[in-house]
Amino acid sequence: MKVVIVDYGMGNVRSVASALKFLNVTDIIISSDEKDLNKADKLILPGVGAFGSAMEMIKARGLDVALSEQVIQRQKPVFGICLGMQLLGISSDEGGVTEGLSFIDGCVSVFNDEYVTVPHIGFNQVTPKSSSRLYRDMEHSLDFYFVHSHKMVSNSDIGQSYCDYSGNFVASFERGNIAGTQFHPELSKTNGLNVLKNFLELF
Amino acid sequence: MLRKRIIFTLIYEDGFFNQSRNFRLQKVGNIDWLEKNYHFQDIAFSLDEIVVLNASKGDKDLKDFASMLNRLVDNVFIPVAAGGGIDSVADAEVLFENGADKIVLNSALYEKPNMVRDIVRHYGKQSVVGSVDYISQDVFIKNGVQKIDMPLDSYIKYLETLNIGEVYLNSIEQDGTGFGYDIDTIQRISRIIKLPLIVAGGAGNEKHLLEAISKENVDAVATANLFNFIGDGLPNARKYLIEKHCNLVQSA
Repeated sequence: MKVVIVDYGMGNVRSVASALKFLNVTDIIISSDEKDLNKADKLILPGVGAFGSAMEMIKARGLDVALSEQVIQRQKPVFGICLGMQLLGISSDEGGVTEGLSFIDGCVSVFNDEYVTVPHIGFNQVTPKSSSRLYRDMEHSLDFYFVHSHKMVSNSDIGQSYCDYSGNFVASFERGNIAGTQFHPELSKTNGLNVLKNFLELF
Repeated sequence: MLRKRIIFTLIYEDGFFNQSRNFRLQKVGNIDWLEKNYHFQDIAFSLDEIVVLNASKGDKDLKDFASMLNRLVDNVFIPVAAGGGIDSVADAEVLFENGADKIVLNSALYEKPNMVRDIVRHYGKQSVVGSVDYISQDVFIKNGVQKIDMPLDSYIKYLETLNIGEVYLNSIEQDGTGFGYDIDTIQRISRIIKLPLIVAGGAGNEKHLLEAISKENVDAVATANLFNFIGDGLPNARKYLIEKHCNLVQSA
């Protein structure tokens, strides 16, 4: 299986690669080249950083068009992690409203720091939705590592599972060939590795 | 509910990991020693996060530090924060590229607030940990040698204006003593701070970890004590805290 970690110059892609290697993926490519994306069986869109900067970097590399071609036209499985997951949504209000890739109906807004400490950093529990592929064969309440100041919410059915931090937000979504987690599976010990494994096997 | 965290801190200087005592460093071993005695790949499952600090004096060799980091994080599936002597956005980028999930800033918070803001703008506030070394109300930068003109409580408020993600509060007096955390200061700061708070300096055993982690607004306890938690020390400490009903992740 050939997995391309889409590199648009933001954050730590190394730990994602390390997790894939641990799961016995032999063909891992870190690239922003359309030719590599084209040859991939699966795509991972990681990301640490600010939404606006990330969209700029993506557009500067023509990745918005390339990803749309792969994910929407060709229905290639894609897994967004943290900021990468948010980028798959409609928009974010981080530093002014920025449009995302709009593959999934979800909007991103900042946590309200009147009620909770922001950023939301640390392990928190996710309640997997029933019949989830991402959490197949896993328990009902699972700890994953989150590190973010903005959360996604959605009024549509995007196959979301929730985490509660002064209210429910989208901890993950899964719809057809598109999946994403707000948490970092590559930094969430055994639970995280299982989610990544499920994506590789079931999408 | 958001869990609290146990963090292990590694102090690196010129190729070696060190035991620090009141910021005086004693070489313990290189990365081979660390892998042999700490089996990091296994022990990482007993931890929630790792902090790696470059304390090399003078012109800190970032390349050397980064290549050690790159090796250290292999097969470690928990977050790693790295820092020490970061002097530019490009320095931060080198650490991110070599396996850091967050970066730790200290002197730059005081000396280069604009650079800090640039890093926050690009990588997001959650990627930046602000490290504060203090004795009583005095704050020190430059590996604890240069006192600044702002008392601790004001400095914490100043850090919040930089829009960073967390604060790593380290007592120079307690550092490496194994006598326990500076609970009085921790208690006072935890009441005024709005950011997640990591406390460090003084943990010698699991009771010390328990005392600090039990404070309401303490998000994480860190220890850099290479001697007291060798072998099964960290897994056992975690087990003890869970038995005492601390809000920690229970599974590996």
